[in-house]
Amino acid sequence: MNDLTIIRKNLFRKKLRAILLTLSIMIAFLIYGALGAFYNVWTAGVDMAAANRLITVNRINFTVDMPIAYFSRIQSVEGIENVSHANWFGGYYQEPRNFIQTFAISPEAYLESYPELVIPPEQRADFIADRTCLLVGVDLAAQYGWEVGDRIPLNSNIWQQDDGTSDWDFNICALFDGDEEEIPANYAMFHYEYYNESLAFNRDRIGWMVVNTTDPDLNDQVARDIDALFANSSAETETTTEAAFSRAFLEQVGNIAMILLSVIGAAFATILMIVGTTMVMAINERTQEIAVMKTLGFPAPRIFRMVLSESILLSFVGGLLGLGLATLIVEGASSALAGFLPGLSMPMDVVLTAFGLMLGLGLLTGLGPALSAQRLSIIEAFNKH
Amino acid sequence: MFSQTLAVTMINLRSIPQRWALSLATIFSIALVVAVLLGFLAMANGFRATLSSTGSDDVAVMLRGGSQAELNSGLSRDDQRIVAEAPGIARDAAGEPIVSGELYVIVDGIKRSSRTEANLPLRGVGPLAATLRADYQIVEGRAFEPGSNELVVGQSVQREFSGFDLGQVIRLGTNEWVVVGVFSTGGSVFESEIWADIGTIQNLYQRGTAIQSIRARMTSADAIEGLEAFIENEPRLNLDVTNEAEYYADQAGGTSDLIMFLGWPLAIAMAIGALAGAWNTMYSSVDTRMKEIATLRAIGFAGSSAAIGTMVESMILAVIGGLVGAVAVFLIFDGISASTLGGGFTQVVFSFAVTADAIINGIVLALIIGFAGSIFPAIRAARIPLLAVHRA
Repeated sequence: MNDLTIIRKNLFRKKLRAILLTLSIMIAFLIYGALGAFYNVWTAGVDMAAANRLITVNRINFTVDMPIAYFSRIQSVEGIENVSHANWFGGYYQEPRNFIQTFAISPEAYLESYPELVIPPEQRADFIADRTCLLVGVDLAAQYGWEVGDRIPLNSNIWQQDDGTSDWDFNICALFDGDEEEIPANYAMFHYEYYNESLAFNRDRIGWMVVNTTDPDLNDQVARDIDALFANSSAETETTTEAAFSRAFLEQVGNIAMILLSVIGAAFATILMIVGTTMVMAINERTQEIAVMKTLGFPAPRIFRMVLSESILLSFVGGLLGLGLATLIVEGASSALAGFLPGLSMPMDVVLTAFGLMLGLGLLTGLGPALSAQRLSIIEAFNKH
Repeated sequence: MFSQTLAVTMINLRSIPQRWALSLATIFSIALVVAVLLGFLAMANGFRATLSSTGSDDVAVMLRGGSQAELNSGLSRDDQRIVAEAPGIARDAAGEPIVSGELYVIVDGIKRSSRTEANLPLRGVGPLAATLRADYQIVEGRAFEPGSNELVVGQSVQREFSGFDLGQVIRLGTNEWVVVGVFSTGGSVFESEIWADIGTIQNLYQRGTAIQSIRARMTSADAIEGLEAFIENEPRLNLDVTNEAEYYADQAGGTSDLIMFLGWPLAIAMAIGALAGAWNTMYSSVDTRMKEIATLRAIGFAGSSAAIGTMVESMILAVIGGLVGAVAVFLIFDGISASTLGGGFTQVVFSFAVTADAIINGIVLALIIGFAGSIFPAIRAARIPLLAVHRA
């Protein structure tokens, strides 16, 4: 019988208790894993932001537009590699509740702004050539069962055409996907020209510009130069990095990080208390056995290791089950939630942190009982009885 | 039977100090479960309360057909002129129809909590806008002068965003404004808005004479049907009409339900985790009292009294835990101000509201944990053999 067998037998000597503790630990790691995966998708816009990408919006607010002339004026700023522009279309498909994130863009330049968007070369050429083409993200296409070659109308809840209608006819000629899982592909894009030429009002305005700098070190300089270019005009601009822009937007929803941290903190405080007190109790029950082992010549450090290993084993069994269950749930929900939370998956850093937490929990709950077992005096233990 | 149960229960409760660490762990783990649940419910209820206190049944909101939100809408002064003559619209003492054409520009405010820019609605209003909001009053300073670059801010804006102190000059985009007053509307969404003269806003933000929404006071809540029929039959108008109270209630649903849908599953998952703790504690409670229980059985106590005693102990621990959690959440969160992105794509400031209903839900959840955690230990207590008297 080696130490591992003793550790395992000790852990499961009261089966029900071991199962309950495992369950409790499993729940905490399930909550951690699921919320961690959610948070990863939630902040993907910040994490996936390119270091050299800037966003220029109207200084009043990003919902306020600016003249199309800015697009050509900005080209002269030094340190710029590429500029594109986009407008919010406010699109929906058939019913207002089928909301579709749709942007009217400068086709070629916008795709250059976002090199992480992957499109088959011939479809890319089709998109650029066909002004009525709708470039659809694969997740969005899957949601509505759209395929290349389909013709669909999209309505706008903001814009109207000259003839008073608000539906634009599109030819789905290309699909795009991100080159990494976290990159959203749940929206659609089409030619700015197609949108602008038929507008009943507000022609020749653009929503925002995407600027790629030649070097991230030039970001501050370029941003300052752009904003200086339009200072004291009727539409001043505000240029920030893509990451800062995304972060500010997430902050508008609220301090999600703090809410999630509080919940995870509460879940872990619970298991720390439950597992901690139970481990103390379990070792107390075994006082005599430990005294016998010591009498038989088991060295104190070995007993210390055995007790500590027991709590670590418990922590890993529960933790792995919880993390596994979280992964199953996340992967299972991923396709159902693709339209809302694209790219939902179990991120590697959440897994690694979970392993750290398992080890930490095992050490924290086992250290006390292990120390008292190590220090146990044989005579006192037998006298107690 | 009752006195037996009472006696056993008292023995149980008096023995809690022997298991103080386990019992405390149970109490606190249940307190945390209840705290998480109540935290989410306080958020959801607070948001819902703010939106459902907004809007009057006898005010009609008109937006461009299909636009769904003020931000997307666009109307003209002509639309307003035509609507003003519609039937069912109330008139003021001077005989003028109570109709307000309004404009809606989203501007950046700096959120105090995160120091980041967030969307605030700068509403351009005329003289009748205030009469159309129930409970509107200037609580500090004065109203803006028509045609000036003065503005008044809602109390909530002042609380959550920096730079809106009375007398302060604030830059919104290219233009500078002076904060001359603070208004309240009884805690409704309008307090999350900034108001200024509509003419000045149209001028400064190049909106021509365009407006985005028309509000009208109806002679009664039912008169809205007459207004709808009028708009339907008027080919020059393309408007969607909504009762103002419904317009805001609709916006509450999504966000508040989402918070509930997140809060409940999390609390239930945590409850399962805490259940293990309660279960474990009760098992050890039964284990340590083996001998006493067997003795009681030997002198004629029923097995069921031992079972009930165990259950009562567990549920008392659970209720204490539930109350600790509820009191903590109430003290820490009730009334806390927060803001999130609302249906109008602008910040809605609301206060966490720990309601009596939510507390009852929390205590019930605690009781369920206490009860479920005690079932098997209770059965075990009832089945202790009389021979256990002799056991060490």
